[in-house]
Amino acid sequence: MGMTISEKICARAAGSERVRPGDMINAHVDKLYIKDLRFAKGEDPKGLYGVFKDLLKDIGVTRAWDPEKVIINFDEQPARSKVRAEGQLTAKRFKEEHGATIYEGETAGIGHNVMVEKGHVKPGEFIVGADSHSCTYGALGCFSTGIGFTETVGVLATGRIWLKVPSAIRVALAGKRPPWIWGKDIILRIMAEIGPNGAVNKTVEYGGEAVKDISIDSRLSMCNMAVEMVALNAVFPPDEKTIDYVKQVSRGDFQALQSDPDSEYESTFEFDLTDMEPYVAAPGVPSNARPLSEFVGTKIDQAFIGTCSNARIEDLRVVARILKGRQVRARVRMIVTPASFGAYFQARDEGLLDTIHKAKAMVTTSECGLCTRPSLAAEEVCISSGNRNFPGRMGDRNSKIFLASPASVAAAAIAGEIVDPREFL
Amino acid sequence: MAAQRAIRGRVWKFGACLDSGNIAGVMAGVDPEFRNKVRPGDIIVAGINFGMGSSSEHAPRSLKEAGIAAVAAESISNIYLRTLVNIGLPAIECPGVSEMVAEGDEVEIDLRAGKIRKLGDGEVRNFPPFSDHAMAILEKGGLIPFLRETLGNKGKAGGA
Repeated sequence: MGMTISEKICARAAGSERVRPGDMINAHVDKLYIKDLRFAKGEDPKGLYGVFKDLLKDIGVTRAWDPEKVIINFDEQPARSKVRAEGQLTAKRFKEEHGATIYEGETAGIGHNVMVEKGHVKPGEFIVGADSHSCTYGALGCFSTGIGFTETVGVLATGRIWLKVPSAIRVALAGKRPPWIWGKDIILRIMAEIGPNGAVNKTVEYGGEAVKDISIDSRLSMCNMAVEMVALNAVFPPDEKTIDYVKQVSRGDFQALQSDPDSEYESTFEFDLTDMEPYVAAPGVPSNARPLSEFVGTKIDQAFIGTCSNARIEDLRVVARILKGRQVRARVRMIVTPASFGAYFQARDEGLLDTIHKAKAMVTTSECGLCTRPSLAAEEVCISSGNRNFPGRMGDRNSKIFLASPASVAAAAIAGEIVDPREFL
Repeated sequence: MAAQRAIRGRVWKFGACLDSGNIAGVMAGVDPEFRNKVRPGDIIVAGINFGMGSSSEHAPRSLKEAGIAAVAAESISNIYLRTLVNIGLPAIECPGVSEMVAEGDEVEIDLRAGKIRKLGDGEVRNFPPFSDHAMAILEKGGLIPFLRETLGNKGKAGGA
């Protein structure tokens, strides 16, 4: 019996010849991502654990594990609370004492996008991050998953993590993707089929003929949403697109691993992308997704392009294409928050930000933004390119969040209601 | 406080797909009064995907601080389950548990044997027993005390 990509990476990280689903491993971590907020005492109001530095001291570790492998990003700039400001200051002090790479100011953005753009993610690596969306990196053919604050302390102390090797679900994509379908539409359709409970603690491995036609930005979005199916990780097999991208952003070697033809999958889901419709997720959970046509006419108050899920250059390009020469509906507020300063500057250089401004949408600095900061009053409706539509996620518990592709969000902003984006392309 | 292998307590029941944002503040997003009703030693039983969403530890720690002795759900988000164990609170994935028990029932959970038993009629559901490693972390009261003990004062990372 062969091994999947994820099993091969787990085996290598555990120093074993081979692993099987269900094996408990003690894996060596290749990279650890930490966001600024995790350094704040506010994360730990009762002082049970203190910040990382104090905790390490408490455990008896005077030097944290490999500073070359620890990457910290400031996800909110400028800090809008004392807690956040304190987290950022503490992170800088941590760097001075223990060493790490910090991205702040115009080098930052949303950490997951920064990790990818700055070349910290390579095929074959075993990566963990102190944020649930750390599963995003699997788009480049690595094993990556999110961990909690306490577990982050464990990695800083030992460089290792205990893990049960997950069983795998294969998602086979066939057919020809229509040009108006992006990663977000595909992942919403997949989640609707697999359901909120179908991938719990499993690997989602994408494959099939249609994969090679899916852009890196769309792959990142499809892996980012894996945690919304409660998957442990998601992975795209590294191909030419992956290798070209990784070589462009990083230095040094990497090992692009493929699943063996006789690897074992717990189940397989097949999707034909030919003639696929855009998808939208209704409020509640992201797996509440259905074809967009079922939601046409739903009035919206806010349209949001942002988050680690969908605000990359591919997304900003399609948003600008739809907004060009048009205006956001008068009673709708549209907010565009590029996923990183890399994407922000590229959009500026391509003239996209100007187009977006002229359509009367607001462009903000690059950060997590409205995904983590309340902006909706009770009864207000938002259509978002983000990844979470839980009750109260973006404000009042009685507000509503619909999730859709950036094209569908931009189209809704113009129409003031959910509408087929193909009318604007 | 180290976790006991057998845990006995009174059940509070919750529904499916509760995200960590709504669990934070002792289930404040679902029932703002819950923090006043719950007693130390009580057990939470929930549906699928308990604790999905953010990896922030506010939600799991609020349950620990309220004295919850264990969480048993149809399924639990990976990050949430690991965090509960890492802060020393047993988290059990047990298909069928939410059908078996009603709010107010008394149950007994045996972590080593992988059994949850309703005290009223003795009905039992099985779950995969905890690994030795997870059990060791729980018995020390969480990952931090576990590391303190296993790493000792070696004074350097990677010394385990």
